[in-house]
Amino acid sequence: MATINAELGVTKVNEKIHKLIESQEKEIIIENPDAQHLICVGMIGKSRIKIEGSAGYFCGGLSDGIDIFIRNNAGWGVADNILSGEIVVGKNAGAIAGVGMRGGKLIVRGNIGSRAGAMMKDGWIIAGGKANFMAGYMMMGGKLVICGDCGQGVGQNIINGAIYCGGNIESVGDDAKIVETTPEEYAEIAALLEEAGIDVPEKFQKVIAEGKDLHYQKYEGSGKRVQVASPLGAMWPKRITDDIATKAELGRYRVRGFGASRHIPTFDDIAFRITPGNISEQLGMLNRCNLKTTLGNKYASQPLELEMPILIAPMSYGALSKPCKIALAKASALAGIAINNGEGGMMPEERAAAAKMIYQCLSGRYGFSIHDMLKADAVEIYISQGAKPGLGGQLMGKKVTPDIARIRGLPQGIDIRSPSRHPDVLGADDLIIKIEEFREATSGRVPISLKIGAGRVNNDIKIALKDTVDFIEIDGMEGGTGASSAVVTDNVGIPSLAAIIQATDGLEEIGCGGQLQIVQMGGIRDGVDAAKAIALGATAVAVGTATLVAMGCSGCMTCHTGKCPRGIATQEDELVKKFDIDTAAQRCASFLKSMGSEMAAIALSCGVPTIHGLGKEHLIALTPQAAEITGLPLAREGDILL
Amino acid sequence: MCGIAGIMLNSPADIGKKMVRMLDGLQHRGPDSTGFALYREGLPERLVVRILLKCSSQSVEGKNRAKKVKAIINGFGLKILSEEYNKEHYRIEIPGLDSVKELSYTLENQAGVEILSIGSALEIIKDIGGAIEVDERYGVSGFTGTHAIGHVRLATESVVDTSRAHPFWAYGFSDVAIVHNGQITNYFKMKRRLEKHGYQFRTDNDSELVAVYLADKLDRGLSLEEVLKRSVDELDGTFSFLVSTKDGFGFAKDHLAAKPMVVLETDEIVAVASEEVALNRLFPGVGLDTYEPFPGAYKTWQRSTLSLV
Repeated sequence: MATINAELGVTKVNEKIHKLIESQEKEIIIENPDAQHLICVGMIGKSRIKIEGSAGYFCGGLSDGIDIFIRNNAGWGVADNILSGEIVVGKNAGAIAGVGMRGGKLIVRGNIGSRAGAMMKDGWIIAGGKANFMAGYMMMGGKLVICGDCGQGVGQNIINGAIYCGGNIESVGDDAKIVETTPEEYAEIAALLEEAGIDVPEKFQKVIAEGKDLHYQKYEGSGKRVQVASPLGAMWPKRITDDIATKAELGRYRVRGFGASRHIPTFDDIAFRITPGNISEQLGMLNRCNLKTTLGNKYASQPLELEMPILIAPMSYGALSKPCKIALAKASALAGIAINNGEGGMMPEERAAAAKMIYQCLSGRYGFSIHDMLKADAVEIYISQGAKPGLGGQLMGKKVTPDIARIRGLPQGIDIRSPSRHPDVLGADDLIIKIEEFREATSGRVPISLKIGAGRVNNDIKIALKDTVDFIEIDGMEGGTGASSAVVTDNVGIPSLAAIIQATDGLEEIGCGGQLQIVQMGGIRDGVDAAKAIALGATAVAVGTATLVAMGCSGCMTCHTGKCPRGIATQEDELVKKFDIDTAAQRCASFLKSMGSEMAAIALSCGVPTIHGLGKEHLIALTPQAAEITGLPLAREGDILL
Repeated sequence: MCGIAGIMLNSPADIGKKMVRMLDGLQHRGPDSTGFALYREGLPERLVVRILLKCSSQSVEGKNRAKKVKAIINGFGLKILSEEYNKEHYRIEIPGLDSVKELSYTLENQAGVEILSIGSALEIIKDIGGAIEVDERYGVSGFTGTHAIGHVRLATESVVDTSRAHPFWAYGFSDVAIVHNGQITNYFKMKRRLEKHGYQFRTDNDSELVAVYLADKLDRGLSLEEVLKRSVDELDGTFSFLVSTKDGFGFAKDHLAAKPMVVLETDEIVAVASEEVALNRLFPGVGLDTYEPFPGAYKTWQRSTLSLV
């Protein structure tokens, strides 16, 4: 038995626990916990930990196999995302207890806070007392047992799994229903409660998914191309009439992939200018231009070291086929850059093929685990994305194969709509604790980043800076997607051009210019766009759609139907077979390298020896609109356009 | 986006020290600014006015503003009983007054200053920085009193400055203060409604709205409990807030339960905070019996109802 005094502070306490678990210590006592956050986060192994008092947020979060006993209360998010092990709370637990659990058991002897078991995939949560608001919110599997009364919205948008309530149910949530508990189920629960020393209620009402909202009732036809440009001044171009015709059949907003389909200001609206005297003598010697970039060195001990300031944007296995994901990972390694795994878990083959991988944490926590997090070179908290700010990801049922359903912990074939918000991040104040949880779980090794869909970037970047992220990823409204509500894709958000300006202005306003690295994504199509974003203030860019086009995407707008003719955005065997991993990886890597050479060409033309030497002084606006958005001077006679 | 804490004792004690400790324990939720609304046992014949000069009290402009303040107060037929300066803060004591609304509007509109608080029991001390720094600057720890509320702020939309730091005084109403964590969605609608009733707002901060909204209801003769009950239905958004009066204190929580709150109640003390870690700062090493209020919950405590040891 070992004893740790928690007055040391949580990071030191967790370091000691790690070492004790490594040395096979079976019982660890933690004294004076005083409700500190993040105790026992990210622990893997077999040990029994007794916390002699209350614990704060995310106690035992991201752990696997550890048993924890908390004598008093637990704060928000106890047992977050655990894979196995048993966590017992002697008294009450705060909100989102057992959020995203994937196995194991959480026993709360007293009351359990709101949204208990949100996004849980497997395992048991048992509460001896009452449950607060929305127990089992968007639950995806496992069992949630509440012995006392349940508050409003029990099982709100539940997808799978069951909630058993021994007391009164104030109200049942949307798309949930009450059914009979079978004698076998009752007996199983009673045995668990007796083992836990909790009184067994006389009966249980069982709440499960009604299933009405798991599928769209109608699907849009395949292959209807969305015209990107329409004749100026025409009230009723074909894209509008086609759109109306489709909606007249569907009776709902349209879902489609790709990205914004109407004209918005882009990087095309600005250009470079050079001062002839500054032309570098290295012109033409592209290999002399330094593109190397370090990303996320603000707090992390092991930042991302990139050969050039490019990342492959997050795209999910689900939206994309498995071979396509592997090809992207290979391409990133060939180009010496990092790839982001996207929603729906880290695929082992993808991890193996990539040299550097950013691991994304989304609201649905599909396939999310501590083991994969520890394999990552950076962790990103996704708040929203350019193609659909304010909405969660969508994946139509046709693409939800048995393999994808298994990885995500969901029923096969449902139309997945990911939650629009994180269950445990409802504000900047919660976010900071989530960031600290990931930092604890990874021992401060890897960068923690934040991804936001561009909207109120000026405010958001200040929050990101205060919330201690290592870098921020800003996704303009041009950003692509596998499937999204078309109204949101076209009409919500601001373009990358405006976003990057808001970001740098926001930091300047609080005297922190240059203190947070920015990755700009959304509408980056080549090295020129990338160089422009960097000149405007980004440290790096991320490319998504462009890499798919490099691998053969023709922009046919069938991503959401799962009928991609090139085997890229599909899960159908016949179509996937058409995709050759090595050819695609090679093409994609060549494209990425071309971006590097384009960036180098521009940097050297502007007379700077490194890509990060570019600044606003090297840019001009080509349209009054772009000048207004960026504050860059309008092109005028005498400036040399590149 | 912030952390809040409040405490009520059954007899006067080192309430300032306790609040500094609690807010220091919550600082991770809001590093931008920290503030305290501290209550001593009220002196009915005297009001404490805490003023933000918005420039150094040692500067020419600061001295001019203080001079104007004094002239306005004298114009109301009131004598200055005592005065103190500390950086941009100016604290004066004046004789008791039935309504302070006209005085406070006149001071702000004519002297170019900002009133942080007026009350016979209340003093609001707030500034940018953490709890320890604000304590070092203004000696919060030395305050002996009966109850207090406090706030650590993480600014998300409006600017980081003292004006937008919490607590907010319920402008124009002696001894009423609030601290708030969350976002009021129907801010503009409620603000317009109160403006029609003649209220003036000094910031774009939704927490100021909560303060004025509550004070308006109290002014109409409703009990603190009734006011909180109505606020839960009439305010829309994600919020949990604490309100304090001369001898009472209470909380309200939104229907969505989106913001945390933990309550500790014993015979000697009531303490409420965003997180238990702040409560444990008062009782190190002790496992506490706390509870998390349900959505839509509200509760008040009066000093007289806390039993004496």
